[in-house]
Amino acid sequence: MVVDIAGYRVADWVAMTPALVLGLTAMVLFIVDSIEPRPGSSSNAVLAGISTVGALGAFLLAGTFLVLGVGQPRGTGAVDLFNGQLVVDGMSLFFVVIVGSVTALVMLASYDYLDGESYQAEYYGLVIMAATGMAVMSSANSLATVFVALELSSLPSYALVAFVKENRGSVEAGLKYFLVGALSSSVLVYGISLVYAASGSLQLNAVAEALSGSVELVGVLGIGIIMVLLGVAFKTASVPFHFWAPEAYEGAPAPVSAFLSSASKAAGFVVAFRVFLTAFPEVGGLGGGEPVVDWVTAVTVLAVVTMTVGNFAAANQEKVKRMLAYSSVGHAGYVLIGLAALNTPDRGLVLGASMMHLLVYGFMNTGAFLFIALTDYWGVGRTFQDFNGLSEQAPLACAAMTVFLFSLAGLPIGGGFISKLYLLLGTVNAGAWLLAASLIVNSALSLFYYSRVVKAMWIEDSAGEFEIDSYPSSLYAAVVIAAFVTFALLPAFGLLSPSAFDAASVLFG
Amino acid sequence: MAIESQYYLLLSAAIFCIGVYGILTRQNALLFLMSVELMLNAANINLVAFSFYHGNLTGQVFSLFTMALAAAEVAVGIGIVLVLYRNFEDIDVTKAATMRW
Repeated sequence: MVVDIAGYRVADWVAMTPALVLGLTAMVLFIVDSIEPRPGSSSNAVLAGISTVGALGAFLLAGTFLVLGVGQPRGTGAVDLFNGQLVVDGMSLFFVVIVGSVTALVMLASYDYLDGESYQAEYYGLVIMAATGMAVMSSANSLATVFVALELSSLPSYALVAFVKENRGSVEAGLKYFLVGALSSSVLVYGISLVYAASGSLQLNAVAEALSGSVELVGVLGIGIIMVLLGVAFKTASVPFHFWAPEAYEGAPAPVSAFLSSASKAAGFVVAFRVFLTAFPEVGGLGGGEPVVDWVTAVTVLAVVTMTVGNFAAANQEKVKRMLAYSSVGHAGYVLIGLAALNTPDRGLVLGASMMHLLVYGFMNTGAFLFIALTDYWGVGRTFQDFNGLSEQAPLACAAMTVFLFSLAGLPIGGGFISKLYLLLGTVNAGAWLLAASLIVNSALSLFYYSRVVKAMWIEDSAGEFEIDSYPSSLYAAVVIAAFVTFALLPAFGLLSPSAFDAASVLFG
Repeated sequence: MAIESQYYLLLSAAIFCIGVYGILTRQNALLFLMSVELMLNAANINLVAFSFYHGNLTGQVFSLFTMALAAAEVAVGIGIVLVLYRNFEDIDVTKAATMRW
């Protein structure tokens, strides 16, 4: 019940403080909003400040814990809480770092974006609530906590997408997100019930233990595992539950799109990694025997289809935001490689590469959507042509966007290059040539549609329709910070990757 | 006592499929919500039946969580249906199609 953090002997729940900080921040936001003198009179600056500080606090705490070795073999070892319902280990801290940094960037940018809007306190509160859910998802070690945490992050997200109540696009996006989300969460919970039927427990280690011998209800278990995979596919915006993504990201306020496409996706993936590698390694044949339920092949198929669908659809879009939404589906496919290319002794490498890709993606994709928020703020249109000549008026923001797009495509201008290289290395190690080929083909294709934006911004002449009169400082700051980190992750990749690889190898025992 | 567990599985699978059928065919957003409730409760049948079969309470307790979350989900859903009605003067989910699917 007592763990040793950097020489201090503290209670074990201290390891969960990053998630607790986020939860407390949400409470503080509600309190600030409820003691305001008149409804809706809370200062935007105060609310944005509290939420940015809270998210930054969670990010720094998780980062510090990661450095101090909390939850890792070199430090305290994995910290089990509530009889193993929650676990704090290297991977959970790593994903809280991703969620915290994305949330901090989005909160910073929202200050300008929400200027003059009503229901500001509700907006900040909902984002921090969803972030709390994502932080708990990264620690969830039981199918029960997985489901509860997943809903805690989903329910505020539905409301956030439909946040602009009088805008038809936003409401329509919220409706579609909610409908697909409700459907997929019922698929997930039905899958959980079938896994429970076959194994008799919900705690992941106990499930693995119950399934390590001979399984009675193999058919039931198989359907259950596939349904759990589909339920998680919604959260990560992978095929077959991906079709909400372009609608929701296009209709939602741009900072919300940034938040959902980066943080929410990362949280979905940590659940997928933990559930499948803790509870179902034996049945998937990772223990060395014959696979009972071959989910590795299922994930391989999903990865290839997700990459291809996402990138080919992105190449056909007219609107930049929708293109980014489909590219986010494509990136979910790349990350799925971490669960698919496991036919190798060095499994920690490929899973760690997926985790690093999510970290880099957290910055470059958030930055790209925040750039869209900036153009929304200026009233620039949404198609590729509307971006023509934008660099004459906003060279700094356009340079940042160029870094994001080329890093997303995998050019050596940002961390996205190295993380993709590691993913490719992982597929080659595992001899998964299909995955390697589709990774290369899709990355090459993605370069085509990302460069369309770059070409519009820098080479095409502007139609001279609009004049940028104000430069929103916090939105600008968020975009520039994201661009700086994306770029800095190119040389600094090696500083962070060992913790990802170590955290990943722990899961394989 | 002996209703065998596969009958519960059949019952829950049937209810789940009715829910899926409802989602695929209904256009009214409220009927859609009801279909989702059917699917969630199909899972509850499994959880409670196999809680008895395995002789532990985990499934029963989790089914309480599922019910609470289903209620929370409907609360958010009704709110979205309300703003849908205000914007589109209808709660037909196929009418809200300003963006293409």
